[in-house]
Amino acid sequence: MSMNNSNASRRGFLKSSLFAAGGLVVGVPLSACATASNTKSEGKNFVPDAFIQITPDNAVHFYMPRSEMGQGTYTGLTTIIAEELDVDPATIQVHHVGAGDEFANPEAGIQITGGSNSIRVHFDPLRQAAANARAGILNAAAQQMALDVSVLTTNNAQVIAKGQAFNYSEFVTLAAKQDLPTQAKLKLPKDYKYMGKDRPRLDGVSKSTGTAQFGLDVDFPGLQRAVLVRCPVAGGSVAAVNDSQALKMPGVKKIVTIYNGVAVVAESYWQAKQAAATLDVTWNKPEKLASFSSDTGKKWFEDALKGEDLEDAHEEGEGEDGLATAHKVVSAQYWAPYLAHSTMEPLNCTVRIENGKCDVWVGCQSPGVAQGLAARITGLSKDDVTVHSTFLGGGFGRRVYSDYVAEATAIARESGLAVQLIWSREDDTKHDYYRPASLADFKVGLDKDGSIESWNVKRAGPNTMPYFLDQLVDGKAPGFMPTGLVDWLSKRGYGLFDGLSVDESSVEGLFEDYDAQHKHVQHVTVDPGLPVGFWRSVGHSFSGYFKESMMDEVAHAVQQDPMAYRLAHTKNNPNLNGALKLVAQKSNWGKNLPNNHFHGVAAHNSFMSSVAQVAQVSVENNQIKIHKITCVVDCGLVVNPDIVKAQMKSGIIFALTAALYGEITLKDGAVQQSNFHDYAIMRMNETPEIDVHIVQSDAAPTGVGEPGVPPVAAAVANAVFAATGKRLRSLPLKLS
Amino acid sequence: MISFELNGKAVEVDVSLDTPLLWVMRDHLKLKGTKFGCGMGLCGACSMLIDGVSTRTCILPIAAVANRQVTTIEGLGNPQMLSTLQQAWVENSVPQCGYCQSGQLVSASALLNSNPNPTDAEIDDAMSGNICRCGTYPNIKKAIKAAAGQQLGVQTFDPKATKGVEV
Repeated sequence: MSMNNSNASRRGFLKSSLFAAGGLVVGVPLSACATASNTKSEGKNFVPDAFIQITPDNAVHFYMPRSEMGQGTYTGLTTIIAEELDVDPATIQVHHVGAGDEFANPEAGIQITGGSNSIRVHFDPLRQAAANARAGILNAAAQQMALDVSVLTTNNAQVIAKGQAFNYSEFVTLAAKQDLPTQAKLKLPKDYKYMGKDRPRLDGVSKSTGTAQFGLDVDFPGLQRAVLVRCPVAGGSVAAVNDSQALKMPGVKKIVTIYNGVAVVAESYWQAKQAAATLDVTWNKPEKLASFSSDTGKKWFEDALKGEDLEDAHEEGEGEDGLATAHKVVSAQYWAPYLAHSTMEPLNCTVRIENGKCDVWVGCQSPGVAQGLAARITGLSKDDVTVHSTFLGGGFGRRVYSDYVAEATAIARESGLAVQLIWSREDDTKHDYYRPASLADFKVGLDKDGSIESWNVKRAGPNTMPYFLDQLVDGKAPGFMPTGLVDWLSKRGYGLFDGLSVDESSVEGLFEDYDAQHKHVQHVTVDPGLPVGFWRSVGHSFSGYFKESMMDEVAHAVQQDPMAYRLAHTKNNPNLNGALKLVAQKSNWGKNLPNNHFHGVAAHNSFMSSVAQVAQVSVENNQIKIHKITCVVDCGLVVNPDIVKAQMKSGIIFALTAALYGEITLKDGAVQQSNFHDYAIMRMNETPEIDVHIVQSDAAPTGVGEPGVPPVAAAVANAVFAATGKRLRSLPLKLS
Repeated sequence: MISFELNGKAVEVDVSLDTPLLWVMRDHLKLKGTKFGCGMGLCGACSMLIDGVSTRTCILPIAAVANRQVTTIEGLGNPQMLSTLQQAWVENSVPQCGYCQSGQLVSASALLNSNPNPTDAEIDDAMSGNICRCGTYPNIKKAIKAAAGQQLGVQTFDPKATKGVEV
């Protein structure tokens, strides 16, 4: 696909094309008190960040500010608009927008797709904007036809007047000249035509025919392919390179050294890859990380938990002092390893620097950061950097980071060529922003009746925030800020801001869900220097396993049913309590199980949703076989039930890979795994039956992309305990 | 110079004989529907039909397909003319990120061509070479079963016998 028919665009292009096409353009300010505005009323300080457009040919366009990486936001956000605009969602033309401050995620303040918040934060502003647009069209129609607006209705992009249907487009010219209503009445759920219904995904046809454009599919005449050889130890740089053989290889155009490696630029990927294999590079390796190996490194975490550097992260009641009155104390320690994201589309980025402009083609979760980094590396202003967005071949948090954008830009700058940097699977596995390894130590104090009185937990591990800040500060900092200062700021990580003494994602999910009079959470940073980052469900990805395994241990320590014990400790957590009750019913908890099959339960709140799961497991010759996962989710009002169920299944299968196989290990600072043979991903023949139920709710919608992940490993581990009496306190789960 | 049949048409390419078919398709013939996933034949994203058999093309030298029939996702159908299987994919909202789906469809197509009514175990067996990181397996299985009951549309490209489902 050529760059010319890429539907990606940045604001300048976007706006000019909108105006060129004409019709009615509705800006959507994405704050909670949002009102829609047509462009006529757009003041200087009003910066809309999503657009609905109805053109004179009666086409409806949606310029989508979030990234589609599989989670279904393309369909979800479009359906929200379709409902209030009264247009069949399948007829709306959806466009990926590029980078621009006006596309910022209202909660994050930067343009990012993550935190399972796309539907939650856009639900009200988008439907209000669409309702206002529909009301504006009706007002214009009433004027044009000299009828009272009350006799008009709409149906699928048409105004219905006295039994006759007229296209919206007949009225958009007049509507665009007038002030739009700002608080048009919204539909009631009972009147929804499209929301709440199982409807096919709007990106299904392009993704079932090989025609959806991913970053890797971008191509144009003159584009070269680049392969980058990086230091095996993250953060290293090139000491010396011998490229004499590589330079003689067919198709090779240039070999350039950049800040973190040596790049071969060639006519085709295969040529670049073959030539890169002949490079002889010596490296300056970062000492601390090079001294870390997984077989001995776990001691770093254990020692830190015993040391003096723990910081308070949360306290309730009398905190740790609450333990003094405990009738009984249950203690346990849990471990979760580093994990890679392994998106199916290997990371890639296409960059062309020409005539003082830089064009970046990339599918990523934070186009604004990509734009900032490219500007910094090229020395251009952000206004001269255009980001063209594509579909993402998986995100899971990996594509929040823009390291591959920075690399591609540096290679394009050094080589003077338009390049597409393509990571191999080995590059992807060895140079990730990994889910941080974590060690947690629990002490739970019980009263004389066996109920939880105090909940104490300490976590040791790296924090994700410094590694994100690194990119953010680099990408967004004013051009005059010296690189050294940027580095200093970002590597400080926490302690930077008042009140942010502990990175929230390092302890989230360890303590919130269950009733206890006293709670105390402490944290100690242990960071060997392997880059870490957001990995589907972030801190909950390990805390869900830790907390839910611990809860199971406590229930068994007082000879209580793990389901009943959880229900008894969620009186202050009604949604989780409700999800548990429903999952007990749907899984037929503990009843009528086939011979040698056992149940385990786990439940966890994350991203404002509640999820409860029951795993049905058998164990034979120390092999764990998972037969079924029953899952209940309470995520408020549901825009598309089929997509919510698909996201739960997706999260569960993603988490089963982590529960059974996932482990990144290091030897002298270098990642030992490389491809799917030693970093296995769950396959169809290993996938259990998954049964998902959604709690009926009219509450505001909450997250679905991530909340399916956190309970899974614990549900399986708890079932393994029921089957064998063995408590597995380390991931991946292994019996031996 | 290597000659082969691509989606029903004769093609010739002049590339180094060890170049994998996947990269000939993407970089030289500019057909981008088939994806690169692992480069070791482990994930199935690069699957194409070679004489009707689902084959990992990231490790298949172009020399190996001389005078053979190659079918890519583009040969199974297109947005205006979906095959029965693709129609089932759309109706069951199989794709999430969508990146692996070309390979999944190619493998599913090969399965239904040789076994029009596969059991669950046969589906598992035929599809276990194709990784989906989004975990679309349950919907893939549902779509294969939905298509299995029907007369198949375009499965391997034959310009004289093309039929499909209008969308």
